[in-house]
Amino acid sequence: MLKADVEVDRRDFTVRAAIEVGPGERLALFGPSGAGKTTLLETIAGLVQPASGLIELAGRTLTRTAAPKVAVPAWQRQVGLLRQDPGLFPHLSVRDNLAYARATGRRGAELAGLADALGIGDFLDSMPSRLSGGQQHRAALGRLLLAHCHVLLLDEPYSGLDAVLRRTLTSLVVRLVTERGVPAVLVAHELADAQAFANRLAVLDRGAVLQIGAPDEVVLRPAVMRVAELVGYLGFAPVGGLPGTVAGIHPDRVVAGAHAARGLVLTGTIAASRPAGAAFEVDLQCAENAVVTARLADRPGAEGAILTVTALDPPCFGPDGSAVPWRPGPMAGLPVRDGPVTRGAGS
Amino acid sequence: MSVIGGAVIWIALLGPVITLLTHLSWHSIVSSLDYPGALSPLVVSLESGAVTLVVLFVICTPLAWMLAHGSLPFPRVWEAGVLCSLLLPPLVIGLLLVFMVGPYTTFGNLIAHFNWSATNTFLALVIAEVYESAPYYVVGAQAAFSSVNPRLEQQAALLGDRPIRVFRRVTLPLAAPGLSMALAVAWARAMGAFGAVIIIAYHPYGLPLQIYTTLQETGLASALPYALVLLVVALPLPLAAYIWSARAQGRRRG
Repeated sequence: MLKADVEVDRRDFTVRAAIEVGPGERLALFGPSGAGKTTLLETIAGLVQPASGLIELAGRTLTRTAAPKVAVPAWQRQVGLLRQDPGLFPHLSVRDNLAYARATGRRGAELAGLADALGIGDFLDSMPSRLSGGQQHRAALGRLLLAHCHVLLLDEPYSGLDAVLRRTLTSLVVRLVTERGVPAVLVAHELADAQAFANRLAVLDRGAVLQIGAPDEVVLRPAVMRVAELVGYLGFAPVGGLPGTVAGIHPDRVVAGAHAARGLVLTGTIAASRPAGAAFEVDLQCAENAVVTARLADRPGAEGAILTVTALDPPCFGPDGSAVPWRPGPMAGLPVRDGPVTRGAGS
Repeated sequence: MSVIGGAVIWIALLGPVITLLTHLSWHSIVSSLDYPGALSPLVVSLESGAVTLVVLFVICTPLAWMLAHGSLPFPRVWEAGVLCSLLLPPLVIGLLLVFMVGPYTTFGNLIAHFNWSATNTFLALVIAEVYESAPYYVVGAQAAFSSVNPRLEQQAALLGDRPIRVFRRVTLPLAAPGLSMALAVAWARAMGAFGAVIIIAYHPYGLPLQIYTTLQETGLASALPYALVLLVVALPLPLAAYIWSARAQGRRRG
């Protein structure tokens, strides 16, 4: 069990974050670059001193700034940190790297078993430079697991690798930390990476935790508009009848046609369209200068054509940016700036 | 074309060594070195050089590490201090050492209690060699430590090693090729130390002073065999360090 509630001063802002991760739980810290995610990890690892706060791990207090003060040094914390650079010791063989922490023996059955599970069993006597990038990451992960650390901190470890390898390694980490009941925290600036890993998602921006929740809940029900922006809502359309209220439009949560019972019906002119994977991405110019982007399975019409779509159960935000309840029901279609006014129920 | 150009420069640089070898005959080497005590300057040089290396390693390695890690306030001031003794001509260092550790100084009086003296003794020779070679070692060792990725040291700490163990298990092995090169350069400087030595440690004779006095007393030809001895003695360590360091780097690169 990891509990951290800290304030860390940085040059540009103060990171204020409180997180709790239970045994076998996987928390992803998601946010833009420079949001303070890595700072939070380094504080837990004891590499950065917080201005104030409390960090507890597996029943031990690692940091407490209030009296009686505690500051356990990094080498006594039993915290595993994995970064983008696997950080294998180049002067030691893979076996000696794996067995670096004193918790394990060089020839232990655990080492051999884990090396096989990681797919590096044949490379134990090689030097790290002989290994591919993916294999080096497997070895680095094995080294942390063999050190029997009480929490695994992953600082965008696989962001330099290609998507397939990234997915393979992520599922490997998920399997191993679940088997061993180790709490794990992943820092990610790609939402897909965070979702593939986590059973809980925390969104950080400028040092503050904006929302923590189940990965799908955070994406489908962002607590504030900023979270919606960060998790991929590309457009915000005014909601008719509710002044100052906007609905977040996620490109993946839009279907063609008017289905008023399922969400917000929008009609607009096609400003641009382009292929996106196996689907098509359309920028739709709607009322009040709102531009929404939708990903549709069918090829849209030409630019300037009128198109009606439905944003499925969109999250809505009041004038202050916080979420307001969305009442399913017939929504007003919105006037198009240059096109014919189409006010009225969609379907 | 570039090979020829390179070869010309290379041969020109090796010129003194080639000249030395062409001007020596086996007979002249034997006749110059074949008398009782002829090789005692060699022994003196080897012993003082070895002691110098130990002193440098023990005293200057921590300093180099601190300089490389930026753990000292005003790092430029410290670096400038190290470079000072590099910039002073060895002869001047020798003169100043007399005023610093000679008789009638605080240090001189202190060690006089133990019947030691820091002029014209083995101790004086070591002091002179340390001052002449220390900056070369510190600068080289600092570069060696700077080349160690701090993330690796951090990782070792997170895996449970306290700082001293991190140093022994990660920092030192990774810096070792560079450190050995720095030691080899310091060794060559210590072997050839002359300027400071002639002022403060005229006795006991090491090889450079032996070459100088032989030159003064009996001429060029009889000094040359000692030059060969100096070369043969000073060279193996740097060569071995170079080969070992290249092999260690190669092994890590894979």
